[in-house]
Amino acid sequence: MIPNRKKYLKQQAQNGQKIMGVLPALYPRELLWAFDILPAEIWDPPGDILRANAHLQATICPIVKRGLEFILKESASVNAGYLFPHTCDSLQNLATQVKDLIGTSQPVYTFYNPKAQFNKTTRRYYLDLLQDFQTTLETKFGPLNRAKLMAACELGSKIDIRWLTLQNARRADQLELTNPEYFQLVRAGEYLKPEDYLTLLNQVEVQAGPVHQSNRRLLLSGILPPHEETLSFLDELSVTIVADDLLSGSRRFPITQLDTPVDPFEYLTDRHFLLPPCSTRASNLKERIHHLQKMISESQVHGVLFNIIKFCEPELFDHRFLVKTLKQNRVPLLSLETELLPGISGQDRTRIEAFIEMLDEQVSG
Amino acid sequence: MSLVGKLKYQFMKDIGAPALMSLKDLKQHRKRPVSPAFGPPLKTNKRLKEILSRHYFLARYVPGAKQVAWVTSGAPVELLRAFDFYTIYPENHSALVGAKKQGADYCTIAENDGFSQDLCSYARIDLGHMLSGKTPAGKLPKPDLLFCSNNICQTVLYWYKAIAHELDIPLIHFDVPFVAVEQSEADVRYLAQQLLDMIPILEQFTGKVFDLKQFEIILKRSQESSQTWGKILELMQAKPAPMTIFDAFGHLAPVVSLRGLPVAQDYYDLLLKEVDERVNKGIGAITNERYRLIWDNIAVWYQVRYLATFFAERNMNFVTATYTNAWAETTGYLDIKDPWSSMAKTYGQIILNNNLKHRLGLMRKMIKNFGVDGMVMHSTRSCKPYSVGQFDLRKALSAELKLPAVIIDADIADERVWSQQQIQTRLEAFCETLEDTTLG
Repeated sequence: MIPNRKKYLKQQAQNGQKIMGVLPALYPRELLWAFDILPAEIWDPPGDILRANAHLQATICPIVKRGLEFILKESASVNAGYLFPHTCDSLQNLATQVKDLIGTSQPVYTFYNPKAQFNKTTRRYYLDLLQDFQTTLETKFGPLNRAKLMAACELGSKIDIRWLTLQNARRADQLELTNPEYFQLVRAGEYLKPEDYLTLLNQVEVQAGPVHQSNRRLLLSGILPPHEETLSFLDELSVTIVADDLLSGSRRFPITQLDTPVDPFEYLTDRHFLLPPCSTRASNLKERIHHLQKMISESQVHGVLFNIIKFCEPELFDHRFLVKTLKQNRVPLLSLETELLPGISGQDRTRIEAFIEMLDEQVSG
Repeated sequence: MSLVGKLKYQFMKDIGAPALMSLKDLKQHRKRPVSPAFGPPLKTNKRLKEILSRHYFLARYVPGAKQVAWVTSGAPVELLRAFDFYTIYPENHSALVGAKKQGADYCTIAENDGFSQDLCSYARIDLGHMLSGKTPAGKLPKPDLLFCSNNICQTVLYWYKAIAHELDIPLIHFDVPFVAVEQSEADVRYLAQQLLDMIPILEQFTGKVFDLKQFEIILKRSQESSQTWGKILELMQAKPAPMTIFDAFGHLAPVVSLRGLPVAQDYYDLLLKEVDERVNKGIGAITNERYRLIWDNIAVWYQVRYLATFFAERNMNFVTATYTNAWAETTGYLDIKDPWSSMAKTYGQIILNNNLKHRLGLMRKMIKNFGVDGMVMHSTRSCKPYSVGQFDLRKALSAELKLPAVIIDADIADERVWSQQQIQTRLEAFCETLEDTTLG
């Protein structure tokens, strides 16, 4: 049973838990845990966008708008500030807009994610960034307990390992989870305390063999999974999403299993640079294409579903190249565009149905 | 590089280009009527056209003679100059396409090939050019190398990454951390080290040895050009202002795309002299300057003439802009004795890579120093770092300085986004408010 996000965070706040609202996407979560801060990630909070429209243009992506709408509501669940990792131009500016122009009762923190290719210089800089972030947090939350950081890294490592196991099990049809259930599980990591999340992941049963033989297997790519109704609709059509290339999903977990942490900062740096290729980190396109193709091949999917957030520049640039390559390789694909509105539109239903029909013809033909 | 290619290029540089420029002089251009609201045009305009035409003309003869790099406007091009690259600025080229009102055509080529209409129009135009070879500049040489810095936006990085992939050529990226509060020692160290790391890569790529002395000369020239450009802009504090910001949008080209070359410095010396003379003689860019305005964001390239005329006919002159100031603002950090760290500071703290508190302070200062009465903000869908935050900047400045302000929603180079009636109505309402406020 996955705890409801809102209720869980409210309960945690009432228990005196420090909670930091974290905008997408990549940040050293273990460092926050070591300061006894629970990161509550803000990706697509539900509800209408009202006040944010007075601060942002119509052509700004809905993640940014929803993030600002949430901040403007001054949620009681967020009591330890907001963290804006450096993800894209819009989130970069939103951080300073909130901090320097709009104002909020909570402190605003930022964390830069290097965009350069991995090398000695980038690695050294990431270590410096961790050190600077630690210093910043210490001014507000007191000195860092190194033992706690070590324990946080160990916990993070266990989550990563368990996650890899579940990912592989999903590919092998060994999880008895519907599409919405699977992504609820993935996304519970956005707000659960790490020990609660690990317990939850450990509760998921991995069957010895395939629980069903899915003939309609898809890989999902994009920033976020589609709305729950779309995921349910895919279930109705007997479509299983067996693998993901989502920023909110597998792109935040290392490609390979890391060694047991010895030095926390070294471990966090290794972890960051072992994340899969991603548009927001400006990964090389060849690497991104190769990674996607590898996932397609390993997970034996019949097609790819792209869930594209409207106005998301990093993803839109890569999308053209991913689509082109997949088409050349005759991989069936469907691109849906979303403004993160609830439900599923009639048009999307029709497009998905048509896509699945086409998929069936290809599989049987 | 071939000997024939080099000889051909040298011939064109020494004889072909000057001859062509002379021919252009002889050619009678049909002059478009100019509103009497404008003062006499700058004589230096002619020289600007010559320089830019020559640059694009010579570009055709570069393959085989020099290596070509496509560069972003905020990248530390001085390093490439030390290796004698011929540099092309796709942003500049896209602005040129936009100014010729051909942006939509190029964008459509990119869109038909799968690029989203929601992407930056500079990028779409450039990708459209890359896919079709079309250009109003005759012919652009294909790049051997790409050099980009995300100090102006992350978009250029995605865009250059796309070109690098498509053309299968190397991309050198100067990763510049955003200044959320202030530049840290770690940031400076990271930036300086990246520059140092580039040297062996460029040496290997070009087969040339890096010459520090030569580099220092280039850096000094670059600094001087930026400083002279800054002086020219400062002269617009004079009343009446000797040129409009729409003039400055054009005169900006050399400091963006020819920075570090003698031609840029010579040009700005000439422009400074003329602008200074105009100030001394009281020659204004418009004949009856009653209101002075600030422009925020990149130009609407396909409507420069319309906007210039619209405001000039209402006795309003744009005397300053955050955009034109960007190539002068941080040049003071440059120190030839400490090139790497000082370049880190210069290139790392430019307006678009700096927080909005900084931008607010800068705009406040500009409004005061230039005696500004009103503000026009161009909210462009192509540029997120420039546009996200504008609503609150406007609110803050209007409240604090009682400054009439308007935001127009348009785009830098895709003319399909322009809504004439809506924008004209907004601008007319703004002008009325400005006149009322001043009268009141």
